[in-house]
Amino acid sequence: MSDYRYEQLIEDLRGDYRPQREWGEGKGILMVIGHFLVGVAGGTWVMSSIYGETYGLMVAYLLGALGALVHLLFLGRPERAIKMMRHVRTSWISRGFVGLSLFLAGGGAYLAMLWLSPGQEGAPVMLARLVAGVGTITIIGYMGFCYTASKAIPFWHSPLHPAIYIAFAVRGGIAVLLVIAAATGTQSGAWLLQLWTGVTAVVALLFAFEIHGALSSGNIAAKWSVRDMLSGRLALSFYGGTLALGLIVPAVLLSASMSPSPVVMALIGIASAGGDFFMKLSTVKAGVYLPLLLPSRR
Amino acid sequence: MRLGMVIDLKRCMGCYGCQMSCKAEHGTPPGVFFARVLKREEGHYPMPRRILLPVLCNHCSDAPCVDVCPTEASHFAEHGIVDIDKDKCVGCRACMMACPYNNRYFHDERRHYFGDAGPTPYEEARSERHPVGVVMKCNWCRERLAEGKDPACVANCAAKARTFGDLEDPNSEVSRLIKERSGFNLHPEAGTGPNVYYLAP
Repeated sequence: MSDYRYEQLIEDLRGDYRPQREWGEGKGILMVIGHFLVGVAGGTWVMSSIYGETYGLMVAYLLGALGALVHLLFLGRPERAIKMMRHVRTSWISRGFVGLSLFLAGGGAYLAMLWLSPGQEGAPVMLARLVAGVGTITIIGYMGFCYTASKAIPFWHSPLHPAIYIAFAVRGGIAVLLVIAAATGTQSGAWLLQLWTGVTAVVALLFAFEIHGALSSGNIAAKWSVRDMLSGRLALSFYGGTLALGLIVPAVLLSASMSPSPVVMALIGIASAGGDFFMKLSTVKAGVYLPLLLPSRR
Repeated sequence: MRLGMVIDLKRCMGCYGCQMSCKAEHGTPPGVFFARVLKREEGHYPMPRRILLPVLCNHCSDAPCVDVCPTEASHFAEHGIVDIDKDKCVGCRACMMACPYNNRYFHDERRHYFGDAGPTPYEEARSERHPVGVVMKCNWCRERLAEGKDPACVANCAAKARTFGDLEDPNSEVSRLIKERSGFNLHPEAGTGPNVYYLAP
């Protein structure tokens, strides 16, 4: 622990509202990057499977593998990672680890079979797709539940969090497909853009509900987190990254031309994915521990 | 048997004896406090009041840290003690996010109290038990309990504000205090079944 981090910890412990800094700051940024990559990987696999986009499947697999690596780098003792399979009964991290393993195993096998004998449909192909599919669903879902299970952080401890993470994964998948479509010209850009608009509307609505829920019925720590995000230490990341980069830039690009060029489509995809990263960074860093106070009635 | 602790806030005088005796007992590195004393204020002018609030792991009966741990490193030991198996912990820190009492610490780097001067012989002797890259927390001094002693923070409380015992025994001192003086928990709404009780100041 550096002198700065030590001093910061002491200062945090003295305050009423202690921000969590383990996920999102220092080496903890790897956790956010890992969740972002794995979420986008899951969304891309789903969207590519629906549209039969082989390049998308390959990109999803690479993103998933990179996400797994980043997750390992985050751990204090990565050499023990295999032990994370032990507690699937109650731990969402354990379930996520199993899901990511299934995704990488099934996805890798499926892509290998696709490469070795294109167009082949048989039991091994179906099995690989099934295993990858189960892994995909798990990795899309587990992240939100990891946060919801965090009883110490009231802002995350919301039933909407999993839905938001699932919606962001789908949006990330569409963003990647937009970039691929721009590069290869294999997909209908107009249809993807319509889909992106619809999913973005759902994401924005869910996020607005979560903020409203925290402000109206959340406890004091949840309200503090929202204040930090909207007008405090994370305002730049939220307004600049999540809103401007992730929403306004793509919306302006989209409205500027009736039939966007491949370059515009790629820019929309990149900006959208960038915004998603900042949304995850903002919400993770906004986490504030439940303050330790005596109950008013005692 | 379910071990528990009662902290009498009327007796606590904020001497930090619990915090220091815990550090001495466990040799925890800088930035790690299994036991802490918080200073809070209650009420408004002209009747404000300073509250001294000693906090530590609540060894919850329904511990969320145990549920979220992917490796079963966080586990229930004997008599309801919640402990961490350092050889299983991967350092994911999910337990830190799950604990409503935020009394867990991640040991990310070996650090000494006297900086460049290096570790003292005492630190060298004690730091062996604290590997880097894992989460640490209070275990109610299991080694002391095995020898029939009270936890260090209880034994060294000058004001005798802390009482330790079996919560399942209706005749124990802790049960009597909770019953007679309406002992309460911090954050009962979290539903974790904490086993640390407080008596009103």
